[in-house]
Amino acid sequence: MKSHARLAAAFLKQEERAHWHDQALWYVREKRDRMAASVPDWEALRETAQAIKRHALANLPRYLEEFEQNAAARGAIVHYALDAAEHNRIVLEILKRRDARLVAKSKSMLSEECGLNEFLERNGVEVVETDLAERIIQLAGERPSHIVLPSIHIRKEEVGAIFHEHLGTERGESDPTRLTRAARTHLREKFLAAEAGISGVNFAVAETGAVVICTNEGNADLGNSLPDLYIAVMGVEKVIPKSRDLGVFLRLLSRSATGQPISAYTSHLLGPRPGQEMHIVIVDNGRSEILQRERFYKAAFCIRCGACLNTCPVYRRSGGHSYNYVIPGPIGTILAMHRDLKKYKDMPYASTLCGSCTAVCPVKIDIHRQIVLWRNEVVEAGHLGRAKSAALKTATLGMKRTRLFRMGGWTVRKLLRSLPSFVFNNRLTIWGRSRDLPKMPAQSFRAEYRAHSKSKTNLSESGLNREGRS
Amino acid sequence: MTDTRRLILDRLRKHAIAGDTSYPAYSHPHAGISDLLRSFQSVIESVGGECRYVADLEAARKVVSGSEILTAAKTICSHVKEVAEGNFDAEAKADARQCADVDLTIVRGELGVAENGAVWVNADPLRHRALLFLSENLILVIEGRDIVPDMESAYARIDFTRLRSGYFISGPSKTADIEQCLVIGAHGAKSVLVLVVG
Repeated sequence: MKSHARLAAAFLKQEERAHWHDQALWYVREKRDRMAASVPDWEALRETAQAIKRHALANLPRYLEEFEQNAAARGAIVHYALDAAEHNRIVLEILKRRDARLVAKSKSMLSEECGLNEFLERNGVEVVETDLAERIIQLAGERPSHIVLPSIHIRKEEVGAIFHEHLGTERGESDPTRLTRAARTHLREKFLAAEAGISGVNFAVAETGAVVICTNEGNADLGNSLPDLYIAVMGVEKVIPKSRDLGVFLRLLSRSATGQPISAYTSHLLGPRPGQEMHIVIVDNGRSEILQRERFYKAAFCIRCGACLNTCPVYRRSGGHSYNYVIPGPIGTILAMHRDLKKYKDMPYASTLCGSCTAVCPVKIDIHRQIVLWRNEVVEAGHLGRAKSAALKTATLGMKRTRLFRMGGWTVRKLLRSLPSFVFNNRLTIWGRSRDLPKMPAQSFRAEYRAHSKSKTNLSESGLNREGRS
Repeated sequence: MTDTRRLILDRLRKHAIAGDTSYPAYSHPHAGISDLLRSFQSVIESVGGECRYVADLEAARKVVSGSEILTAAKTICSHVKEVAEGNFDAEAKADARQCADVDLTIVRGELGVAENGAVWVNADPLRHRALLFLSENLILVIEGRDIVPDMESAYARIDFTRLRSGYFISGPSKTADIEQCLVIGAHGAKSVLVLVVG
């Protein structure tokens, strides 16, 4: 597995594309800012959203039971799955029992996390992703590079080529409207033929047993209303106490995600439609472990808006596929580390720690702080790597001893002025690959500080204060 | 399954969430909307929809009969007969798939939200809720007095006790999945006209 740094370097080789990617996401971030500024109580809303999450997740067993009872009373069949494997098995069993071979699926990051599509395909079920972006990457054989804008890394000419191959659009067609129309026609057939619909869930309301789903395209709505079998899959953390709480989360979600005042469709489903069988699969898959970790539990508050990706200077300039975990970017980092510290050890380092993620998060997760703490965990677990460990050990040694530190400073100041730059900017010095050394000052900070203090003392001794009056 | 359920609930009881975990007392009205009707209209237009104010249903009928959406539509399913007669009875169809070719659907909305242009549609009176998403075009008819400022006041008015399905619909179906170019009409309605009566 290649590290984030290597994958990012490959991404950046295509300079024009990398620049476009950066700009496209920044545009979304700016829309988010305008939307946030237009809501008078924005900051208070974020506070309240966090407080509701804090309360709901601290009382999750009670709310899950309440949700389960209410959903069951409405006629939905509720299942629990401990992990990805159990989730996949349950979904397959439901499909098999009803002999469903074609599934119209709507976006669900949970199903990506569980590898549901591959599992179903291996077991003879055809899964058609119906969100346009998801369909594009499904046809391209890729994985989402963003949790809300899954195909943000693909250019329209490439979409044209993919559609030409799979949907028979004209060669060279790259007009977004015509390509979208072609997908509409193609997917409408699938919707009408599908024996089952599967979708993720944005919110599950304990008070009513309602499942709430937000989309712009209307794909989830066709997928959950047309087929006679509908399966909603959700993580345990999606449950909120009351319907009125939707008023808080929906006001934050789309504005944070895409800079829209609300998604085009926000569906509230309370049980199956007449004549339909509806299942709800509630999945843990590591969420309870996140909630058990004192420094990291807030990662489970996430409502999957993707705002932290859009704002992240590293994500924008490295692309979602340079992160090895299924969820990329800042939130992906603090979720991946729970999954496998060793495997994803490079992810906390794919960050400038600028804190922009934390500043835009609608539920106020302390994302950048958690990233620092994960670096700490990586070091403690001994996964840092030899070069970085050695560098840090040397630095520690120097910083612990005043004299050694001063001597080191003196040496570096003198040496750098006389040594040629290739000594530091060569292939062996990782640090120097993408950085230049700063210009060396004539004296140390210590010496400057001492000189400065002395001159200040002289001024006050001469009877003048800073304003120059005596 | 019961074992899995118990196991998950037991694990969740051992959470490490610190601080005040009580349910917060809150109210965040969207203050500063001086003209509800105008705000509602301008947001709908900004999300690619259309919104017209009419004095009564008779005036609504005139607007619709003169509109291109109606004249271009071959198959029309109307649940608001005062606005248009329609020529397709979705209620008589056993399967929603039989509604796949509807060009225009006219239904009532119960609420309009000024902060985001969303219309609350209770789909329970419809035999096929899929009609709302299959139809190529959608006309939503709401009463002027049912426009509320924000989502908080909207949810305060929605009664979930007997509801089976309800939708906030804000403008037409859309996508920006190809290079962030906005395309109206992804899977659902390609146009949404909201008629505010009274």
